[in-house]
Amino acid sequence: MTYPPTGEKEGTAIMRMGTGKSADHVPKSMIGRVGVALVATMLVLAACGEDGGGGGGTTDNLKLYNDKGAWEEFFREVGELSQEEIGLSMEPVGYTDEPTYEAFIMASFRTNVKPDLFTWSTGHRLNEIVREGVIAETTDLWTEAIANGDLTESLKPYYTIDGKQYCVPLNTAYWVMFYNKQIFDELGLQPPSTWEDLISIADTLVENGITPFYHTAVLFSFVWFQQLMVGSDPALYNALSEGTASYTDPGVVAVMEEWKQMIDKGYFSDPGDETDPAAQLKSGKVAMGAWGTWFNTSMTQQEMTPGEDYGMFFIPNRVPQNNQTAVLFESGPLCMLEDAPYRDESMRYLEWWVTPSAQELWSNSRGDVSGNPKVEIADPGLNEITQAAGTDDYVLYNRYFEATPAPVLTAALDAFGAFVVNPDEYHSLLETIQQANEDYWAGADG
Amino acid sequence: MARSRTLAPRSGFGFVAPAVLLVAALLYAPFLWTLYLGFHEYDGLRPAEFIGLDNFTRLLEDPALATSVRNTLMWAVGGTAIPVALGLLIAVLSYGIRGGTWYRLPFLLPYALSGAGLAVIWGFILQSGGAFNDVLGALGLPGADTRFLLEDPQNTLVMIMAFTWQQVGVNALLFMVGLQSIPQEPIEAARLDGASGWRLFRHITWPLLAPLTTVVIGLSLVATLKTFDIVWVTTQGGPGRSSEVLAVTMYRNAFVAHEYGYGSAVALALTVVAGAVSFGYLRRQLSAKRGAA
Repeated sequence: MTYPPTGEKEGTAIMRMGTGKSADHVPKSMIGRVGVALVATMLVLAACGEDGGGGGGTTDNLKLYNDKGAWEEFFREVGELSQEEIGLSMEPVGYTDEPTYEAFIMASFRTNVKPDLFTWSTGHRLNEIVREGVIAETTDLWTEAIANGDLTESLKPYYTIDGKQYCVPLNTAYWVMFYNKQIFDELGLQPPSTWEDLISIADTLVENGITPFYHTAVLFSFVWFQQLMVGSDPALYNALSEGTASYTDPGVVAVMEEWKQMIDKGYFSDPGDETDPAAQLKSGKVAMGAWGTWFNTSMTQQEMTPGEDYGMFFIPNRVPQNNQTAVLFESGPLCMLEDAPYRDESMRYLEWWVTPSAQELWSNSRGDVSGNPKVEIADPGLNEITQAAGTDDYVLYNRYFEATPAPVLTAALDAFGAFVVNPDEYHSLLETIQQANEDYWAGADG
Repeated sequence: MARSRTLAPRSGFGFVAPAVLLVAALLYAPFLWTLYLGFHEYDGLRPAEFIGLDNFTRLLEDPALATSVRNTLMWAVGGTAIPVALGLLIAVLSYGIRGGTWYRLPFLLPYALSGAGLAVIWGFILQSGGAFNDVLGALGLPGADTRFLLEDPQNTLVMIMAFTWQQVGVNALLFMVGLQSIPQEPIEAARLDGASGWRLFRHITWPLLAPLTTVVIGLSLVATLKTFDIVWVTTQGGPGRSSEVLAVTMYRNAFVAHEYGYGSAVALALTVVAGAVSFGYLRRQLSAKRGAA
């Protein structure tokens, strides 16, 4: 059977199909016509999808895309304040699933759906997107903010890539040990000043049937690795993040051995217990837990009173380092794209974001510290931590989560998750992380 | 006349185009994009770089693949056999008895839950020191201290148990439909010949239910081979990738590690496995029936 050569006969064939009569073949040129119709429809849809907001227009409302869906009410409060102060309101668009959020932001680099402002991570993740040339430089903003005291030189390195600054600090957090003050008071314990003190406290707690430290196998499985690593050999910690040291280095092995011994001594909670960690600390199921200062929000949401029910202290170095304590630090950036839909407004918002009035509301509503040193932190304990962290007694190191490239981090989180469940097999786990480390840096060098 | 005969089908293209566009955009384009990425290295930022079969050789050399494949097979076998067998049992036992609907209804209720909802509930029950441990302890049974979600392979087994809890009701419902639709004459004839109970089921009811069983098992196989939500929400494939299945391996590599090319290669491998198993199973069943006919 041959296909009808003309449109008229094709039409007859299609009509036969519609009536259920003989229509054994679809004409070849029909496919072409459907294709043309398809392309036409796509063009119409594409035209409809063109971003109507950009192109040098103006707005009085910005959308702030973020991966911190739980902070929506805090974002909204700041959005209302910005409306009052600079005539620009802000609407948060919160995601709770990190991979989905990152995929959306990365896709926005190549599409017309672009965020006015968005949150991201410092370290390798920020380096990656800055080097793609899609992030707006904020060097002038930083220079001015440091000059008038709204930002600090100590924060600047986390936002500096090839000598230029990008984004501003959305949030900052120091990693400290939260402890149940009532348990400490009952047992006559004081926050430690040395690693030996901390171990002694843990021993006392174990003797009294209380689990000293919180532990988990999911996501935050890296916490004790980063703490023991940076407290033992901070140079090696940095070298690991830069790909210049191996995860099978004797220094790393020693840290894993120390961690294993602590697990064997019963210092840690069951990593499979998925009870809210703040609730575990409140109930006394565990006496201590290492988290960023943002965990203060979780504690107050458990109706615990800072200074009375719980306290915080810097975790002492495992190996003393010239009378300086290594403190893990994280700062999440608030960024804008080079070709943001409303570039001027977005930049104006970032300039306002670092001012004392914006930061005072943003930090104190969440019960966290601020990147602006002028901000008076309402919580005395947090204020003390912030003031101390700014002195020469403490040295800041980027949190493992940001300091480590994504493929290596993924392998490491899996390995640490396995380790906290079965701590005997850490050698093979370190080799697995090292393999990911080598693969990543071989590709990066190439 | 000729004019109208020509225009009618042409205008028909316009009506068809949106549907074709949707299918092309939502089904063909993602599949072709995944196929393309499977042969490239792509981190979502830099342009994709063609690397031939490297992603697939890397997949075969990945030490976690063996665990992922093993767990996927456990899901395919356990997640199919147990819910189908229990569903059949419930349907047969409750068929034709007074109040049978009320007997089956509770089994159907969990089907209203989403996969993620199921995972949240069972994660709470199965976590270390959770409700399941408490119940075992209260009854004086062994396992009160067992870390169900942490130890391998029992973490996969208990998740299959949770999946069974959800799936058994709908299987029972499908078998009920099958039981109601099979002809009564052979059953009556067998009864007159003195067959009852197990003999009646084994030699009469079961063969008559075979076409439906083929469909139920086929659907279940495909569903379990692409298991994702319950595993991701409950354990995220951990600890240490011990409960990972192929769909989680794909998601983890593509969206967590930002290795979209490698993740696409896993997706293609999963597609081939699911397609091959489904095709093989259905072909075998259908050819067996043709042979019998």
